[in-house]
Parts: sequence; structure tokens; C-alpha cells
Amino acid sequence: MKHTAREWGCMSWNKSVRIVTLLAGVACCAAPLAAQNVTDEMLKHPPRDSWPGFHGDYTGRRHSALTEITPGNVANMTLAWTFQTQQNGSVKSTPILVDGVLYFTTPDNIWAVDARTGHQIWHYTAPPNKAFHIGQRGVSIRKDRIYYMSSDAHLLAMEAKSGKILWDVVVADSNKGQWATMSPLIVGNHVLVGASGDFDNLQGFLRSIDADTGETQWNWYATPPVGTAKTTSGGNIWMTGTYDPELNLVYFGTGNPTPVLTGKVRPGDNLYTCSIVAINPDTGKLSWAFQPSPHDTHDWDAVEIPVIVDAPFAGAPRKLLMQASRNGYFFVLDRTTGKNLLTTTFGPTNWTLGVDKEGRPIPNPAKEPTPDGRLIAPDESGLTNYRSPSFDPKTGLFIVSASPSYSLYFSKAADGTYGWAGADYSLWSKGVLEAIDYKTGKIRWSHELGQRAGSGVLTTASGLTFSGDSAGNFLGLDTATGNTLWHAGAGGPISSTPITYELDGHQVLLTSGGSVIYTWVLPQAATKKMAASK
Amino acid sequence: MPVHATFTGTQIENGGTLFLQNCAFCHGKDAGGGESGPDLTRSALVTADKEGEGIGAIVRNGRIEKGMPKFNLADGEILSLTAFIHAQQDKAMSQTGTRKGVDESDLQTGNAAAGKQYFEGAGGCSKCHSETSLAGVATRFKSLQLEMQMLYPRNVKSKVTVTPRGGQSMTGTLEYQDEFTIGLKDAAGMYHSWPVAMISYKVDQPLEAHVTAFSKYTDNDIHDVLAYIQTLK
Repeated sequence: MKHTAREWGCMSWNKSVRIVTLLAGVACCAAPLAAQNVTDEMLKHPPRDSWPGFHGDYTGRRHSALTEITPGNVANMTLAWTFQTQQNGSVKSTPILVDGVLYFTTPDNIWAVDARTGHQIWHYTAPPNKAFHIGQRGVSIRKDRIYYMSSDAHLLAMEAKSGKILWDVVVADSNKGQWATMSPLIVGNHVLVGASGDFDNLQGFLRSIDADTGETQWNWYATPPVGTAKTTSGGNIWMTGTYDPELNLVYFGTGNPTPVLTGKVRPGDNLYTCSIVAINPDTGKLSWAFQPSPHDTHDWDAVEIPVIVDAPFAGAPRKLLMQASRNGYFFVLDRTTGKNLLTTTFGPTNWTLGVDKEGRPIPNPAKEPTPDGRLIAPDESGLTNYRSPSFDPKTGLFIVSASPSYSLYFSKAADGTYGWAGADYSLWSKGVLEAIDYKTGKIRWSHELGQRAGSGVLTTASGLTFSGDSAGNFLGLDTATGNTLWHAGAGGPISSTPITYELDGHQVLLTSGGSVIYTWVLPQAATKKMAASK
Repeated sequence: MPVHATFTGTQIENGGTLFLQNCAFCHGKDAGGGESGPDLTRSALVTADKEGEGIGAIVRNGRIEKGMPKFNLADGEILSLTAFIHAQQDKAMSQTGTRKGVDESDLQTGNAAAGKQYFEGAGGCSKCHSETSLAGVATRFKSLQLEMQMLYPRNVKSKVTVTPRGGQSMTGTLEYQDEFTIGLKDAAGMYHSWPVAMISYKVDQPLEAHVTAFSKYTDNDIHDVLAYIQTLK
């Protein structure tokens, strides 16, 4: 059959229409699918082009498999874009990335931003509230919803595509003194949240909230109900935990006991304050607990990231958990049983009488705060704190932003037994990145950071360590040696942890300094992008 | 009682909200001290402030070296914060009986003679200091401030000598130091900086001995030396 041009034209026109219709059909029917569908599988094994949770994956190692940026080329990195939040405080959140969209926060603010351009897609601002606004560590995502803890300790579920609020549940009563900064840990349909608040005697808790409905599934309390005689209150859970899907256990650190600086009214170990706890996310039942600071009187929360590592220990493959704790001690535990394998210090400490047979430091009663003061190392902000560490499997290094420090601690009868109940004053501190060999606890290298620094740590499989110093320099180091390979001035204090991901086939490093987000790529990635656009 | 401007109830209340949001974590809900921030009701700066001229400057500029960030607040907000802080100080100072926080009377447990002995002997303090060089220190500083100043003096500038490759050495006050850059102020007050890679430099660290001492003192040693220092009026 012979066709005329017109017929061909007509046919192709028809075809075009069909195609258009088909495309329209795809667009129409796939619209809900094209929206983020973050599955359990994705949270367990994040694709290269995503960073779908606070730690990236569930392990808390903050170690990326990406290798395009290497020790050899890191110095060539160039700025891709910046995003100015134009807020007062600095960004303390870890952004999450799903389907090319970044979500990050400051207190009372959430932004959804195009990861390719830094262009804002939406911006949510919370209604005014009286809670502490000291930080917000980021939102979490599941299916097509993001989950946000407000400063006044509500959990909000929002449409990821628009920021529209789907539900809002009160997690803690901020009028009683609890507030929130936490990025929720999502495991299956459980949204796991806690709150901060040791200025009042309150009960620390971990709550599991149904991701779909907002209903409470279970509560786990760190301490007995407030007012129980001769027991402690406190044990607030305010940092994102980690998760082992095989053991089906979540790991969280709990905060300090209250009253904070006096222990007289709360004799004993004060379980489960300053503890690492392993909890079944389906039932809320405690599997085991290990206490880094029994009977704490120095405000040393043990909330620092409980990092999950599968690696040999003493010759045998082990399921390990590691924590560099605020009290100055580094712990390696068996995360199946909670049994202690290693306890060591990673900087100056002077508050113990040694280590007990379970591997717990034994607090020296003579170092409890007194009316005339006690010299204590580390200071109240701790040898480390909320700043995320990183574990590099190749070198076996646990790298943590540490702060050797000394302080004076006071407490007297007039300070009472409610909330702070004393006073402490830091005398001196400095910042140093410590690379700890997890098998021995020995420090393999140290990298001075000036004063106490605010950045967490990221490592990559190509052998790079990213962090920041106290002067506001982003740092790229050789993981093997700690030597600097790249740096750039942020123009403000660095208070978050760098992340890395792949975008359009190229590795991106994201950092924040002050209230600004920065993304970095290799020049060829930037050039390719330009060529493609021509 | 400290003298300051009169503030309205609304100013104090608004200041209380701002204080809770921005300041209370470090300085405590009642401004009496919290996580890492000092007790503002015992602050000499607060006592000297009349209507925010002192407090406002600190809030706007921060005290970066002590870990306090700067806050970008409007004039009215600064005034409200000031109102709240003064109200809290008035309240704390009008309290009857023993006041919470660190009082000078709490810091009198040492033995001055033992302190003098430690100062001149085991402590090694006399390598750098003498009664003459410290004369009047207990008049310039009081109470907890004196103890903190004794353990680690604040606002002491280091001296640095920089020698650029193939160039003339320059000595001045160390103004900036990070891993990559050294900045100094010369005798005329001019600022100069160099990339670390292009110079050799030497920073004198007069306070290093104070850091070393932290791991050597007992609490009794500290209280004894404080008792001795308290006599140097």
C-alpha cells in the first residue's frame, strides 16, 4: 500500500496524538507513584542517589560507598550551588534526599529544595511557640510523607510534595519543660521519637507512633514515674537511634538523670539514664541495656550515636555496637547481648575510680559537685556530644569530633533538687578529630580543630573523611593519615554533618556552614551539566 | 540593688518568651545558669547594664570564643530581653536566706599557707608568677571569677613571630590562627596575615602551663592555692 505524504503526515499526527495521550495517561496514572514512595527496603539499603534518613542508612556509620571523589581529586571540587536559609541560627540538621529533592530544617522551618539547583520547592514555617529553639536535626521520610518534630515536641506528618500537614500529635507537653530537636527514626510503620528536657524533673521516654494514623503504638520509659521515692527522673531520648533489621532491635542512647548535678536524692545507678538501650521496635520491650555513666552527676547524656558495625573482634566476626560517649569513654559492645568488649578513654577524664567487671566506668564519689567546686574532665558539653561520628570499615577507624576540656562543678543545698540543681563552668577546651582503632581503642591519628568544633564526620569508601573545624573551615582529610587534602571557608560556624550522594551519575558532597547549605562536585560533573544544557 | 531603667510588665513578659526560645538552654530558664552558660543574675555586665547597652552588644555580637553565637534581634526585642534579665537579677538578689549559685563564702575551704607552699613548690606557679606580679589580683577579680582566672586566665593574647620565606620576621599579637592562616596585629595595630604554607612561625603559649596543670592538681590543691591568691589584694 502506497501512502501519500499527507497520509503519512496524518498517520504520524495520529501517532503523535496517541503518544501524547499515552504520555498524558502515564503522567496522570503515575502521578501518585511518581511522588516519593520510600519503602522499608529503601531505608534498609539506601540507593546511591539518596540519603533517606538522618544517618543515611540504619547503621549510624555515616560511611558512603561512593568513590568518584577521591583523595587524588578532592582538591579540585568546585561549588555547585548554595542555599541561603536567611535564618538567625545555623543549620544543625542533616538533610535527607529522595528523588532529587532535599529536605532540611532549622527550628520552626522546613525546606524542600531541588537537589540539582538549590531552588526552593516549598518552605514550611511553624506557628510561634515558647519552647527552646536550640536546634532541629532534620525530618524523616516514609512512603510519600515526611515526619517532623516541632520545637514544642509535636510530631507532624506532612505531604512530601507540598509540606501540607496531614496530622499533628503532641509527643510531650512543652509547657512542662520538654522540647524537641530530633529527627525521628522510622522502622516499618513505627515512627520512633523522644524529647529533651532536663531543666525540670521529667520522665524520659521513647514513643512509637503509627506512621499512617499518628496513634501511639507503645511507650518505653527510661525512668520510673516522677515522684517515685529514692529514684531518678530524666533519661530523655533526644538523638536518632540506629536499627539492626536482622535482630529487629533499635538502639538509642538515653540522657542524664534529674536533678542533674546532685545525686543525693537518687541513690544507685539510676537506670536507665545515661544508658544505651536495645528495644524491639514492634513491642517496645527492652532487650538489653548498657550504662556508660552510672549515677551521673555531670550532665553526660549517653545519647551519642550507637554505631552499628559488623566486623571481627578478637579474631571472630561480631555484630558490634560502638559509642564515643559524652563522658569521655569509648565503648565496643556485642549488640546481640549488650556484653561489653572494650572500654577506653579517648581524651582526658578524671571522674572515675576505674572500670567495673561489666565494662562500666565507676564514678568517683569525690568528683560529685560540691559547694566549693570540683575540677572535672571533660566539661559538661562533654568529650563529644550530638556531633555524629563515622566508622570507616577499610581502616577500622571510628572517627569522632572530640573536645578535651576541664571545668568546675558546684552544687549545694540551696541549689535544691529540681532541674539543674547546681552550676558548672567550663575553664578550657579545644577541638580535635580523633581516629580510634575500634579493636584496641588506641588513637591512630589526631587532627587539631582549634576550639571545640561543631561538625560531625562523614567517611567515604574512596578513603576520604569530611568534617569541619572551629574556624568554619570545611575539611576533607585522608582517612588513613588524617592529613588535610581539601578545605574551604564556610563563613560561619559549622554545626551539621556532611552528607554525600549521587546525582545524575556524579557524586555530590553537601555541607552547611552558618545558615547556608553548600553543595560540591568535581569540575567534570559541573562541566558535563553545562554541556548537556547547551 | 543594681540601678537600671524601669521596664513595663509587657516588656518583661515578651523578654521572657524570647529568653526561653533563645537563651534559656545555656543560661537557665531563670537566667541563673544552665548548660554551659553562666549565671546571669551574678554577672557584672548585667549589673552594670542600664537599658541594654551592655547586654545588647553581647547578644548582637555573641561571645564566639566562649561558644555564644550572635543573635540577630530587633531593638525592641533586645530591650525586652534586657527587661527580663534585669527582672531576674532583681529577683535573685532580693532573695532572703542562702542564694543558689556560687557565693564567695562557698570558696573559703582552702588553707592559704599550704597554697603558698604549693604555689612556690610542687605547683610550679612561681616559674612564671610571683606575689609582686600578682599584686592586686584578688581586688581585680572576686569569688568564682578569681578562681576561674587563676585556673585558666581569660583574654590573654599570645605573641607570634612570623618569618615569611626569604623575608623579614614580624612579631605581634596573635589575632587569628587556623590550620591554614596566621594573622597578627603589629605594634601600630595593623593586621597582617599569611598562608601557613608560606611562612615559618612561632606562637608563645603562656597559658600552656595552666593546661598542663589541670591533670596535676587535686581539688585540695586548687582550694589551697585559691586561699593563697585570695590574700593578694
